[in-house]
Amino acid sequence: MKKQIAIIAEHHKESVVSATFEAVSFALELSNLTEAKPVIIVLGKSIKEMAENLSKKTGLDVVGIEGGPLEFYNAEQYKFTLKYYLESIDPEYICMTHTAMGLDLAPGLATRLDASCITAVEGIKSQDGKISFLRSMFGGKLRAEIMPKLKKSVITILPGAWKAQELDPMENGHVDIKAAPSSISTSRTITVKEAEEETLNLDDAEVIVAAGRGIGNEENLHLVKDLAKIFNKSAIGASKAVCDLGWLGYKHQIGMTGRTVSPRLYIACGISGSSQHISGMKDSQIVVSINIDPNAAIFNVSHYCIVEDLATFIPVLLEEFRNFVGTT
Amino acid sequence: MKILICVKQVIDSQAPVTIDESGKWVKYGDSSPFRMNRYDEFAIEEALRIKETLNDVSVDAISVGPPRVSSTVRKAMEMGAEKGIHILTEGDFFITPFEVASTIASYVQTNNYALILTGAMSEDDMNSQVGQVIAEILNRPCATLVMHQEIREDKKEVYVEREIEGGKRECLNLQLPAVLTIQSGINIPRYPSLSNVLRARKAQILTIEATAMNIPAKREHLVALSYPEVSSRGTFIEGSQREKAKELVSILHEKSLI
Ligand SMILES: Cc1cc2nc3c(=O)[nH]c(=O)nc-3n(C[C@H](O)[C@H](O)[C@H](O)COP(=O)(O)OP(=O)(O)OC[C@H]3O[C@@H](n4cnc5c(N)ncnc54)[C@H](O)[C@@H]3O)c2cc1C
Repeated sequence: MKKQIAIIAEHHKESVVSATFEAVSFALELSNLTEAKPVIIVLGKSIKEMAENLSKKTGLDVVGIEGGPLEFYNAEQYKFTLKYYLESIDPEYICMTHTAMGLDLAPGLATRLDASCITAVEGIKSQDGKISFLRSMFGGKLRAEIMPKLKKSVITILPGAWKAQELDPMENGHVDIKAAPSSISTSRTITVKEAEEETLNLDDAEVIVAAGRGIGNEENLHLVKDLAKIFNKSAIGASKAVCDLGWLGYKHQIGMTGRTVSPRLYIACGISGSSQHISGMKDSQIVVSINIDPNAAIFNVSHYCIVEDLATFIPVLLEEFRNFVGTT
Repeated sequence: MKILICVKQVIDSQAPVTIDESGKWVKYGDSSPFRMNRYDEFAIEEALRIKETLNDVSVDAISVGPPRVSSTVRKAMEMGAEKGIHILTEGDFFITPFEVASTIASYVQTNNYALILTGAMSEDDMNSQVGQVIAEILNRPCATLVMHQEIREDKKEVYVEREIEGGKRECLNLQLPAVLTIQSGINIPRYPSLSNVLRARKAQILTIEATAMNIPAKREHLVALSYPEVSSRGTFIEGSQREKAKELVSILHEKSLI
C-alpha cells in the first residue's frame, strides 16, 4: 500500500473549522514531496454530512469514525480511537492544526504511536530526500529546522502558515464511515461553553490600537486610548498578556483565544508578535508597530515599523497628529 | 495529596537571542537574563491555591536542565513549593520535549503525585508538549490550557475548563491522578513572602544527575537555527522621534486614514 498522510479534521457544532483546510494544503505540499497519499479522518457523533462535504471539497478520501463518546473532542477518546484505526493504515505522517485541540492531542498521540512530534510547523524543507519541518522559537525571533527521527511523525500546523485552497476536484473522494470501538476513559468532556457575551464592537472599527505588555503599567493605557481617539471608528485591542494582568478586560483580547479582526489599520503598541496574537490580526490592511526591540517578531507582519520606547514616542506622535489636524 | 509542578527557566523574552557557532542553539552568557517561564508561575500559583483550600496537600517543584536552572527551582520554593528537585543535565543545549517529559515521568514513577501541573507552553521553545507527554507515559489523563479547576472533595476527580478558540471553554472531568497544563490568566501569581524567601534560601534542592536516569533516545533532531528573513519585514521608519512621528502621520494621511 502507498504511504499515507492522515489529516485529523477539527469541527465545532457539526461544521469543519477552516484551519482544517489549511492542514489539507500542508498535506498536499508534503504529498508532492514524499508521494504519500493524504486521507482525511473525522471523528464525531454524527459526521456523515461533514465527511461527504470534505470529500467533495478536497477530492480526498475521507474516513469517518462515529460514536457517542466522540460528541465532543476529548484527548483520551481521540487517542484511543485513532490508535485503533491508524494501526490499519500505518501513515507516515499524521497532521492536524495547532489549535487548542491539536496541541492537546498531538504530543500524547505521538507518544502512544511511537512517533516523532513536531508542533506549530510553518514550513517544510526537503533535502536529499529527507524531510524536515520549520517552526518558530523564542517568540518568533528564531526559526528552527527539526527533523523527525522515527518512521512516523505527528505534526501540528500553525494556523495561517498555509492558505486554504479552492481545490475544485474533478471527483469526490471515497467516504467510509466506521463505528468507533468502545472504550472506557479516565476523562470525559461534558460540554463546550460559549464565550461570554461581547459588548465591544471590534468588527466595525476601522482602526484598532492594541496594547501589549510593553505599555509597562496600567497608567500608560491612556497613551493607547488617546491614540485611538485620533481616529474615527476606532477601538482598543489588547494582547492576552494585558488582559491576564487585568489592565483591560478579555473582551479586548485579539488572537487565537480572543477575537479575530481585520481593520483598515492596526497599531500594535508594545506587542511582541507571538503567533497566537498574530493569528487574530494578520488580515489587517495596514499594520503599524511600535516596539523598543528591533528584533521583535511583530515587525515580521508589520508594514511600518517604529523602534521606539512607546512611553516617550506616543506623546510625540499625538502632538504631531494634533498639529496635522490643526493645519488641515 | 501530592502535587508536582514542572518549571522551566527561560531567557527573558525581551533579551536579544543570537545563534551560537554550532548553528544549533543560542549563545547564552553569564549576563543572560534568565527567569522562570511565565506560564509556570501560573501553575505554581494554582497549586498553592489548591493547597490552601484542601487539607493535606503538599507541593513540590521540579526542573530539568543545566546548573543555571537551580535558581528557578529556588524561585518556585520562594513562591511556596516545599521541595525543590533539579534533574541536572549535561551541557546547555536544546533538549526535546520528549526527553524532558521522559525524565520527569521517570522521577514521578518512584514518587507518587496525584496531580502534575505544567505551564501551557514554554516561552523559548514554544512546543506545548511536555505535560501531554508526561501524562501519556504515565498513562494518566491530561487537559491542556486549563483556565479553571476544581478538585472534587473525595480527591478522585478534577473538573477543568480549557480555554479554546474565540474565548470558548471546553469543560471536562478527569480522574486523578492527572496532568494539567495551565494557561496564563487563570490567576494572578503571588510575589514570594519574606518568610518563604528566607525558608527557601536555607532549603536544600534535591539534585539528581540525568545520566543516572534511564532516559529513552530523542525522537526529533534540531538540524539548525536561523534568523527570520529580513525580506519579510516591513519598512522601518528612521530618524528622531519627531521625524518618525511626522513621517507616520504623513503616511497615514496618504492612505486616507486621517
Ligand atoms: C494556546 C495559547 C493561546 C494564546 N492566545 C493568545 C491570544 O489570543 N492573544 C494573545 O495576544 N496572546 C495569546 N497567547 C499568549 C501569547 O503566546 C503571548 O504570551 C502574548 O501574546 C504576549 O503578549 P505581549 O506581546 O503583550 O507581551 P510580551 O510577549 O511580553 O511582549 C512585550 C513587548 O513589548 C515590548 N516593549 C517593552 N517595553 C516597551 C516600551 N517601553 N516601548 C515599546 N515596546 C516595549 C517588548 O520589546 C516586547 O516585544 C496565547 C498563548 C497560548 C499558549
